[in-house]
Amino acid sequence: MTPNGAIVFGLLVITGATIARDLPGLAVVLAVAVVFALGSGKRVVAALGWSAAIVLPLAAFMTLVWVGIVGRAPAEIASGIEGSRANAAAYVAVIALRLFVIAFVIQAIFLRFRGSTPFQFVRQVSAPAVAKKLIVLTLSLIETILHAVDRARIALIAAGLITRRPSWSNLRNGWLLVQTVWLTVVTIAIGRARDKWPIENTLSLIDGALTDAAPRRLTVIDGAWSLLALAGAGIAWSMR
Amino acid sequence: MARELLTGPNFSGRSTGLTARLRAATPASAFFVGPYAEAALSGLSSTVADEIEIYRARPQPVRPAFSAIDFTAYAARKPPTLSGGEQVLLALHCFSLSHCRAIGIDTALEQLDPANRDDALAYLSQADTRGFDVTLIDNRLEQQDGWTQTAMTGSADVACDPVAATAGLAPCAAPVIAIERLSFGYPKGRTIFQAVDLALEPGRAHRLAGANGAGKTTLFKLLAGVLAPSDGAIRLDGAPYAPWRGGNRVFALATQNPDHQWCGATLEEDVARRRAALARHGIVAPTPDAIARLATLLGAPSLDAHLYELPLAARKRLSWLWPFSGTLPWIMLDEPTVGQDRATRDALASAVTRLCALGYGVVFITHDEEFARLVDHRPLRLEHGSITA
Amino acid sequence: MFTTSRLVAIALCAALNFSIGNIVYLVKLPVYLDSVGTILCALLLFPDLVAAIVCAFAAGLIGVILTGLVLNPFLPWFTLTVLAIALVSALLTARANGTFRARPLPTGAFVAKVVTFGIVTGIVSAVTAAPVVAYLFGGVTGSGSALVVAYFVKSGNLLWDATLRSGLIIEPLDKTLQVLLAALLYHATPQEFITMLRPSVQPSAT
Repeated sequence: MTPNGAIVFGLLVITGATIARDLPGLAVVLAVAVVFALGSGKRVVAALGWSAAIVLPLAAFMTLVWVGIVGRAPAEIASGIEGSRANAAAYVAVIALRLFVIAFVIQAIFLRFRGSTPFQFVRQVSAPAVAKKLIVLTLSLIETILHAVDRARIALIAAGLITRRPSWSNLRNGWLLVQTVWLTVVTIAIGRARDKWPIENTLSLIDGALTDAAPRRLTVIDGAWSLLALAGAGIAWSMR
Repeated sequence: MARELLTGPNFSGRSTGLTARLRAATPASAFFVGPYAEAALSGLSSTVADEIEIYRARPQPVRPAFSAIDFTAYAARKPPTLSGGEQVLLALHCFSLSHCRAIGIDTALEQLDPANRDDALAYLSQADTRGFDVTLIDNRLEQQDGWTQTAMTGSADVACDPVAATAGLAPCAAPVIAIERLSFGYPKGRTIFQAVDLALEPGRAHRLAGANGAGKTTLFKLLAGVLAPSDGAIRLDGAPYAPWRGGNRVFALATQNPDHQWCGATLEEDVARRRAALARHGIVAPTPDAIARLATLLGAPSLDAHLYELPLAARKRLSWLWPFSGTLPWIMLDEPTVGQDRATRDALASAVTRLCALGYGVVFITHDEEFARLVDHRPLRLEHGSITA
Repeated sequence: MFTTSRLVAIALCAALNFSIGNIVYLVKLPVYLDSVGTILCALLLFPDLVAAIVCAFAAGLIGVILTGLVLNPFLPWFTLTVLAIALVSALLTARANGTFRARPLPTGAFVAKVVTFGIVTGIVSAVTAAPVVAYLFGGVTGSGSALVVAYFVKSGNLLWDATLRSGLIIEPLDKTLQVLLAALLYHATPQEFITMLRPSVQPSAT
């Protein structure tokens, strides 16, 4: 499967999850996503776990609001009827399952291409060259920032300005960590843009690394998955 | 093909001369390795494999590869997580795989341990047979056989006097640091320290040596309270000391990359915030005027100068400000001489010696053997989870 | 449009958007600051309005896409909000760049502008985000919003109204904090970087 195909598949599944209005419709879309994820082997468990970890806290808050406090579903409020906690719970279940499907399919796509380097992935995506450069540059800078965060945190703790644990010092001075990191990374970027990149013509050099020698927009397998996702969305729509 | 060594003190125009030579080369045929780790790599890759992919010549390399490390084992590693020396070695590896016919290296070799440094110099010395020009700035090289030596004579008149910076310090009764059965390992990572016992004596310099990734910086983090040990204790003159709970009250730290330690955009902001933080711990810092005088001796143009707009060598010197202020009894220096010319290095060694004579304790990490020889020190070796003297 | 320096600014600000969540987690702050880079990008590219809007939006968009892949899969849904924040930042907030850059910092003017533009950004953010929050999240995105939405719904408001009202309470506070952080970072940014982005504008004499 190509990254282009995975992106199309993901967008179709997310569309299906968005237009599905009830649990059976969402279940159909989820089934499509699970079948896709099974193609990644044992990573489907990781994707399920990650998605559940993201959605469960939200589901808990929604349950507190709609079932615990409000006691009826939004549609019942709009209709002016008394409603019930059971309907509120059903509403929360639909929202939670929709969020779960969205999180799950994104994670499944991410894990499917986990073995690829960012260059390998971006190379195969059909996108303007400037967009590809921006993505790889951003990914590189993210790593630089995260490393700078670690180093700056060491120094600010050593200087007594922030602490390892939550504290009022962190509330007062936490922004210093952001500033130090920003200035460090800007300085690095200035140095590269002033010296290394012009000398080496680096930004043109990566054109070669980001250009696919045999570009493939969509393959037959991509088409098959997309049809499956479209079918799932269609079934979800028909169940409304 | 030319091999050129640019010599001269800091601010004599060496860096400008080096980049000018590279810009004069055919476009896209030059390779630049800047003066700190992050300036060695392209900044466009988020894995080592991708970094190599950017520079790899197609259809095949034009010269034998320089491979001090087997980078296939590092393929999925993120470049910033490599040590400074590893990043420089990766840059040299990428150059060797590229089409580039000229390379300029601005003090980056100073970050390599002696063995890798010799390998790198040996490879570069074969530029004639390998088909490239090399221009090198290195404060630890006086001359190299077969290299043209060009003395840069520009002067920005930036004085730095570390000895004078320590001249006004009063004697200090630094505490004895006793590390007892200290153990530490990163979560899901390997064990760094296994029941380490170590005594750090005040009035002495201690050099912490070990392979890249052995845990030298980790020890600094434990002593400064950034990390908490899984077992063991630290004592100051016999009293328990847990900086990971109570904060750091003992160690003044100068980081390897000076930009990682500022507490403000200007020196004035940095000084004010540190003084306030020290005051909260009940530690009396020198007056702002005293700090300002110290900063001037270390080459600061003014207190309201934007730290990140100063040259790197100047920022490195200012990273010694708090260690030399006499505020805290122990001093940790991480690669203090990187990018510093010989005169400054020698003065720094004298300053460290003076601090020890006054009773301060010093722990330093360095690959600079000449600096280590100039400082009377107790060698400590970190290896396989233990520290041996 | 996409010069090397602007690519650097977009990528830096997108990376900042992505990474800043890690930073606030490390110092255990009860906030999530996900648009600081977007606002900062607009400040950096001002007074070129088109560049400021395009680059700020690009920074915000790349940030939400990458964050969506790795940390929060629902963030890309707020792309319209990202665009709205980019527009407000470029058209309004960035006009205070002289105040944010002044040395010494004029505290009164600085605070007044941060609060004003933070509130405006918050209102715009709340309005554009409300439909997404209402439909996708049932009005609830976290512990703070949960109770506020519950209060409004219990008081008889429809879901969309309650979500909007909740957003209008919470978003101005959050966005004021983000404008403050962006302004402080802009204040501290080295002049060389700003000159690189705006070669036609000379550094101020302050």
